[in-house]
Amino acid sequence: MKKSVVAVSLAAVMALGSVPATVFAEDGAKPYEGVTLNMWMSVSEYQDGTKAVMEKATEELGMEFQVEINPGGTEGDNIIKTRCASGDLPDITNYNSGSLLTALNPKEHFLDITDEEMTQKFDDTFLSCVSQDDRVYGAPFTTTQAGAVVYWKPDYEELGLEVPKTWDEFVSNCQALKDAGKTPVYLSGGDTWTTQVLFLGDNYNVLAKNPSFADDFTAGTAKFATDEGALASWDKYADLVDFYNADSTAAKYEDGLEAMATGQATHWFILTQVVPLMIAAHPEAEENIGVFAVPGDDAENAGLTVWEPNAWYINKDSANTEAALAFLDFWYQEENMDLYINTYGANGPSCIKGYTLPDSVAPAIREDMQAYFDEGKTAPALEFLTPVKGSTCEQITTSAALGQIDGATAAQMYDDDCKKSAVQQGLGWE
Amino acid sequence: MKSKSKKSNLYSFWFVVPSLAIFCIFFLYPIVTSLYYSMTVWNFDSATFCGLDNYKMFFSENSLSSSIVHTLIYAFLTSGLKVVIAFFIAIFLTSKIRTKGFIRSCVFFPNLVSTMAVGLTFCALMHPTKGLFNVVLQAIGFSPINFLGDINLALYSVIATDVWKGLSISVVIYIAGVQSIDKTYYEAASIDGASAWQQLKSITLPLVAPSQNSIIILSLIGGLRTFDLIWAMTGGGPGFATDVMASVIYKEYAYGFYGLSTAGNVIMLVLISCIAFPLQHFLMKREEAIQ
Repeated sequence: MKKSVVAVSLAAVMALGSVPATVFAEDGAKPYEGVTLNMWMSVSEYQDGTKAVMEKATEELGMEFQVEINPGGTEGDNIIKTRCASGDLPDITNYNSGSLLTALNPKEHFLDITDEEMTQKFDDTFLSCVSQDDRVYGAPFTTTQAGAVVYWKPDYEELGLEVPKTWDEFVSNCQALKDAGKTPVYLSGGDTWTTQVLFLGDNYNVLAKNPSFADDFTAGTAKFATDEGALASWDKYADLVDFYNADSTAAKYEDGLEAMATGQATHWFILTQVVPLMIAAHPEAEENIGVFAVPGDDAENAGLTVWEPNAWYINKDSANTEAALAFLDFWYQEENMDLYINTYGANGPSCIKGYTLPDSVAPAIREDMQAYFDEGKTAPALEFLTPVKGSTCEQITTSAALGQIDGATAAQMYDDDCKKSAVQQGLGWE
Repeated sequence: MKSKSKKSNLYSFWFVVPSLAIFCIFFLYPIVTSLYYSMTVWNFDSATFCGLDNYKMFFSENSLSSSIVHTLIYAFLTSGLKVVIAFFIAIFLTSKIRTKGFIRSCVFFPNLVSTMAVGLTFCALMHPTKGLFNVVLQAIGFSPINFLGDINLALYSVIATDVWKGLSISVVIYIAGVQSIDKTYYEAASIDGASAWQQLKSITLPLVAPSQNSIIILSLIGGLRTFDLIWAMTGGGPGFATDVMASVIYKEYAYGFYGLSTAGNVIMLVLISCIAFPLQHFLMKREEAIQ
């Protein structure tokens, strides 16, 4: 008798264990039970925040996820182009917005989400970066970010410095910091892409002087060497040559993250995606890090250059478009956006209209950056306004940053470089 | 009679066909097609003919043309240094020393390590503040040297690493050459009262010429094609200071400029051919003259 009880209960446990999901399916709350969505994203996107929301979606909506990792960089670009060409796209792709998306010809491959309810929540700047012929194909993966100056507030307090509104003020701050024996500017020249941020992040100031620069540049009529504001961007490098850390030629992005989060240097021109990572590595840095825009000439018009986030794109030919749409809809529920940001952090203000960042976000983002957004003093980076970007940009900015070439030479080199890109992209520049 | 000889000619021809077919399919055909694609703007789907524009761009744009100069400096300097230094090491290692076997292994050791590993190791050793070289320099009272960060120095730092790593092969070839020299020459010379230096100059050096020629050709072509060490140590930087042709071609390719990067490959092929064939010819002549 006892034996049979044990046997029955064992059998019951085993049955339960083998089909745990179906047991709770009867209440009908899980409409996408049994659906598996294929996703494609890089490691920096498949982080704890994303995982938390995906787990919650599995719990509430039932769909499972299978994630393939994008190796990133040009290798990732080549993979996604090949998969587009061979009709082998995953259900949901996480990829850049702006010129890189345009290069994929989205209307051929991705689902038009213009008329979806969630699309009404996205702000116009973001929409312009995921649209082709006025149709929308992408939904923002995360928050915006900026190419700006991350700075160490205690140094500013110690020397009684003000957040600079103009480039001249910035340079004199650096001089004061140098005189006080500090490292005024961190340069992570070992990861050459980081040296571009001063130049690319200066786009607000370029457009402030010449609002049509981006269009004229795409048409091939405006040049960096001849446009006053654009040339000024390049000249800025020369002013900073004496202010760098001793290992500026070799330091990596991770070294910069460590140095800035511990106050070993005062300024760093970098993308603000670094802020959550700094805080994750050194939680006590949260109150000590601030962000300000790359300063221009006009103290009244200091504004921030913004990078739109990567976006989610749904495969047009997927068998699971409904589940994919449901997942994205779920992604933009306020509580789920909160969950993502509270888990991972935020790189900048959100591009969801009417959404405010939760209090868990660092003041550098929630206050410093948000202020520019509230005043409307933001402009997209040039790569969201034109398909042309010079292929050796980061080599030229490294040369300029290390003082090997002056601003005028760098601007001329970059013009030549862009011409090469434009010719190779078939834009017919002469 | 006549038809028979024709038949036998044709008969031998069939022996050549397999290798000729392989040569044509895998070497000749790609060379000819790459000549065509080097004159186009090409994105794999479509190729628009643009004449010699890609070539003009390669020679006129500073970042591309400077890579040609760097390649030549790199190739000639590494080759020259290897030829000279390896000769003296080989002489030393063929003399009557006790730990010959051990030292020969030591000299050969760098060649067993992958180039990437060598590059990354030296990159760490040459770090401007934390690298071992600079720590030692500072400890003995010198100011630190930015080996890979200084544009005037970076290329030479990589060249030095290449020589360190590539020396061993040259030494091995030299040793084989030196050992194959007949001992009777030395005996005759010493009976005639020739000094060690005279023996080295008048016997060893001329008779080692065949091995020396192989070393010159091998290391020069290796230098012209170099990529991995540059990529591991500097990635072509700082700025453009160490960009060689192979690294530039790789970058253009990665950026999707397939036509331009093919043009770079054609230029590299022509450059290597223009240097290697006349040099080979000259060295063969010299070798014959000695014999």
